[in-house]
Amino acid sequence: MPKTQPQKAKVAQIRFLTESTYILKLERNGFQFIPGQCINVGLPGLGVNREYSTYSGIKDPYLEFLIKRIDGGLVSTKLSLLDPGDEVTLDGAYGLFTIKKPSDKKCRYLFIASGTGIAPFHSFLRSYPKLNCKILHGIRFVREQYEKDHYPKEVYTSCVSGERGGDFRGRVTGYLKKHSVTKDTTCYVCGNSSMINDVYDILRNQGLSASNILTETFF
Amino acid sequence: MKIAISYPPIVNKRGQTAMVSQNRNVQYFKYPTYLLPVIYAQAATWLKNLGFEVRWDDGNSQRKTYKQWFDQLVAWQPDIVVLESTTPVMNFYWQTTNDLKRALPKTIFIMTGYHSVRRPNETLDKSAVDIVLKSNHVDFVLAKLIPYIAKHNNWRRTCTVEGLTIRVDKKRVRDTGAFRQVEPLDNSPLVGRDLVGWKNYAYENGNFLQTPGTYATSVIRDCMFGKCTFCRYNGPDLTFSKMSVEKSLDEYQMLIEKYGVKEIFDDSGVWYRGADARRFAQGIIDRGLHKKGCYFGFNTRFEYLDEETIKLLAEANFRFVLIGLEAASNETLRRLNKGYQNDYIVPCLTWMKKYGLHPHMTVMVGYYWETQEMLDETVRFVKELMSSGLTRSIQVTLCTPLDYTPYHIECITKKVLLAKSYDDFDMSKLIVKTPIPHEKYYEAIREMYGFGFSPQFIFRQVLFLLTFRKRDWQFLFIYGWRAIRRLTNHYYDLTIHSRKGAKPMGIIQRIAVFWVEKMASHFETRPQISS
Repeated sequence: MPKTQPQKAKVAQIRFLTESTYILKLERNGFQFIPGQCINVGLPGLGVNREYSTYSGIKDPYLEFLIKRIDGGLVSTKLSLLDPGDEVTLDGAYGLFTIKKPSDKKCRYLFIASGTGIAPFHSFLRSYPKLNCKILHGIRFVREQYEKDHYPKEVYTSCVSGERGGDFRGRVTGYLKKHSVTKDTTCYVCGNSSMINDVYDILRNQGLSASNILTETFF
Repeated sequence: MKIAISYPPIVNKRGQTAMVSQNRNVQYFKYPTYLLPVIYAQAATWLKNLGFEVRWDDGNSQRKTYKQWFDQLVAWQPDIVVLESTTPVMNFYWQTTNDLKRALPKTIFIMTGYHSVRRPNETLDKSAVDIVLKSNHVDFVLAKLIPYIAKHNNWRRTCTVEGLTIRVDKKRVRDTGAFRQVEPLDNSPLVGRDLVGWKNYAYENGNFLQTPGTYATSVIRDCMFGKCTFCRYNGPDLTFSKMSVEKSLDEYQMLIEKYGVKEIFDDSGVWYRGADARRFAQGIIDRGLHKKGCYFGFNTRFEYLDEETIKLLAEANFRFVLIGLEAASNETLRRLNKGYQNDYIVPCLTWMKKYGLHPHMTVMVGYYWETQEMLDETVRFVKELMSSGLTRSIQVTLCTPLDYTPYHIECITKKVLLAKSYDDFDMSKLIVKTPIPHEKYYEAIREMYGFGFSPQFIFRQVLFLLTFRKRDWQFLFIYGWRAIRRLTNHYYDLTIHSRKGAKPMGIIQRIAVFWVEKMASHFETRPQISS
């Protein structure tokens, strides 16, 4: 990782996936990160920034973040209103929620996300397409299967709790109770802390070692 | 089963007391500050709620000598003793545990703290400790571990609670794997104030403008950011856990109405931000707690609070805001993974000044890469902030690599660490190779603290009186001299290794220091000492 990273970037595009969730696409200018790391994105003059996990891959010529506009959330709202050419500040990249040996084909991974917690897993798949993995994505509505077509069909499973549709009706916890995880699987769990707590208990009860469960809290 | 959560008094040759508790860098102080170790207090409360006999055994806050503390603990005959340690006092704790084990051979000793979290086998090798906790969720782990031990004689072989290294017998240790990173904080009880003798911590704390003050049960465990390289809240196994706003509000209401607390500080690594912070402040207002004469404070980061939030916090009677400035140079901020650029600092402080909050900056010097230019930039910036009233108080420390944080490991990898023993990590001197002589950093500390006596800074404090805010008058006339006393204390403690060749204090500074010390010794409120 270079000691000096670009600390500002221009917006290339804002792409809404639902009424409240969008992809912030930035010019990369050589900004380096490891998939799964987060970057602090802020608005010059606003005085605040927030950490967002990378969504794009390491070889992509741009930086992308998957962001949900929070009611009353200043940064997520202001970022959604930017126009192409506007500047944001960048700090990072940080964090150790990363794949240690992505080329090791013996490793089997299960990525469990709620909502926009799928962002680091999208980055994993874009960066390491041959990863032996499954993604379990917990969402309320079918329309929240963000860019589902980016994942191979056999990799992505949506768990939709609020309406019919998707691959599984219910929460990720319900899915995990019906489909046990093998003990040699390494699980990455990302999203809200309530989901992480519930998933952790299920995985431990199924015999997974605590050392095989990695977590990243979003909120 | 009898469980002691114990903090032995540690006094050095100069009569200074070491402050060890919960993610604080151990420093020896002439005038100790008694800080409640919140997570351990929750653990004690939880164990008591589970029916265990619990002894809250903080020899520091209870003003015991080491011998008093030792003899009384031995006389109590605990079944389990829980200790917390950190790098500079590891040797002391190992020795203490060994001495205790001789006096209490059947007692189980549990070591916690960030140093042993990262080097559990070392503590098992060097001491008679039975279990090392690798988790910072001491309350959650103990609430599972202690009942297990109580029910299972063969716990050394069979216990599967996550995050432990257990001594099985004289030759073998057993590891139960990584600990659970995220815990539902709402399940851990609020601190039992009577159990921990809350008044012992209510007065001797420079952060309180009004007393009695207290620390709230922390709303954030570890840190929401958690990436700063020098901080213990940074590691592959650490993320953060959050307590609900409503539960915290209930505690504030209880502390004010039942205990008559006048200042509450939340020592979470970083307190709520954004919508949570606004919801909390609005909750304080809705419950009428902002009119009860109690101030509130917290730790935050420059880029976490916007103007609207700061305004609302001020309306809710928030006052003290502790922020890590660390350095002014963007190069240093980048190397420390601080997560913001210096452009973020002034807007945040400007809003805090505008709405009457009292920001307190913590500054560090002595990074192994810090050049004279970088150091000057920090000194210049701090003086600007002080003279413009953007910061109301400062604390300057030497950046000391500790507890195998990323910065510590970086110093080892780059072979810049000068310390030969863990005892050298007590923050009283620089222990890394630097591009300029160490004396330059000590001079910088003296210069920044000395600026607190400058006409510009004092004039700025007097100008604040024109706001006619009660807190500003209190700041100058009540807290001012107390803060300066602590300032001289810091000045003494942090520069004791650099007296040779140091520029002597000016006559005004000497008079001010003398006067402040005298006043402080006469008028400092001292509570009753509990046994």
